[in-house]
Amino acid sequence: MPGLPMNDPPPERLAAVLARAVGDVVAVTRVAALSGGAASATYAVDAVRNGTPWSLILQCAAAGDVADGALPKADQAALQRLAGRHGIPVAEVVAVLHPDDGMGQGFIMARVAGEALAPKWLKGDGFAAARAALTGQCAQVLARLHAIPIAEVAGLALPGGRTGEARMRMFAHYRSFGVNSPVFDLAFAWLAERCGDAEPDAIVHGDFRSGNFIIDEHGLAAVLDWELAHLGEGAEDLGWLCANAWRFGIWQKPVGGFGERDALYDAYAAAGGARVDRARAHMWEVWGTLRWGLACLQLGHDHVSGRVRSVERAAIGRRVSEVELDLLHLIRFGDI
Amino acid sequence: MSEQIEAAALVEAVAAFLQSIEGELSGRNAFHAKVAGNALGIVARELAQAPRVAEQAALSAYLGHDAGLDALRAELCGRLRAGQLTPETPGLLLALSEAVMAKVAVDNPRYATLARMRDA
Repeated sequence: MPGLPMNDPPPERLAAVLARAVGDVVAVTRVAALSGGAASATYAVDAVRNGTPWSLILQCAAAGDVADGALPKADQAALQRLAGRHGIPVAEVVAVLHPDDGMGQGFIMARVAGEALAPKWLKGDGFAAARAALTGQCAQVLARLHAIPIAEVAGLALPGGRTGEARMRMFAHYRSFGVNSPVFDLAFAWLAERCGDAEPDAIVHGDFRSGNFIIDEHGLAAVLDWELAHLGEGAEDLGWLCANAWRFGIWQKPVGGFGERDALYDAYAAAGGARVDRARAHMWEVWGTLRWGLACLQLGHDHVSGRVRSVERAAIGRRVSEVELDLLHLIRFGDI
Repeated sequence: MSEQIEAAALVEAVAAFLQSIEGELSGRNAFHAKVAGNALGIVARELAQAPRVAEQAALSAYLGHDAGLDALRAELCGRLRAGQLTPETPGLLLALSEAVMAKVAVDNPRYATLARMRDA
């Protein structure tokens, strides 16, 4: 399977890692690949600890090591633990892989019960109460995350820079594909007039969206995928959550396909977050939408370049036009 | 029709074949077969609607001269990068909307933003 390490992690080595971490006798009975993203590979790990079944998740860098400049897996695990200490629902980190373990960078965490597939919980009848609670829960999580003093992550290699630098990096990424999209260039010009060049002042989750939640009948059970966390401006997470791509067709609900912007912003302020400036939030929605457009270009490029030949990636490359239309709608009408 | 089997007919035949084996596939292969079927739908619409012609017409009307589509796109991008065109330049957003709507009508005609833009 493309995107996964050459060999799946051997159960006996994972058992040794777990035994070292918890000081108990641990056996691993099954390791099953769940998904192969561009950067990470995720496995369901079934273990037995002192005779009791133990359901875990292993996340490791797809290429063994993370890319240059990306968040190391041990630091991602440390950040996830820090978030948990600040009252954010996350999967408990159980063990972090050492280089000597021979499985590259990665960590093992608890498998949180609930639904991870957004279309299921966004549309399923059994999740109505969860959806009703979710906007407030997301606001509270983000307010707590953005309130953490960045001094607390001084020891972690979180990427980050000024807003203007981040825009330039994104533009260089766009240009690296050799594609000419007048709408993307228009959006970059629009952002250049508005994004400013602020110093980072908050921990940004970086991928806070409907597809990265575990949802149970009460709502948000865990926030997943902290691998794109960085230092920046908190409102970036609010804008990304509202990008049309994460509404899974329920475009009438701008917050992730389940909520309203005003409710999100009010709950964010009520939970101690900054009062959201509408124009600033709109800027971050345009930013997030463009960022998703570049991800579509990247996935299409994976296929065209031969890095990962896949009909799925080729087809996602054709979603660039959807993003262009969303950008035009956002810029023309101030909303989508 | 100068050919018995034109490209559109081949695309249709392959799409029908994929659909016929859907029930025999599972997991990743079933998912990819579905994606492949959708991709053939894009090809069929592209053959029928010629979106590049519509996009070229929209961009050349805006720029006031004829050229190939790739050259027109490159010219617009270059002028946006140089600041000679901006999001506030009159007519630009409308011309780009027209061009992109032709593309989305092929890539994903049921995309909600397409209907919203047409009604706007």
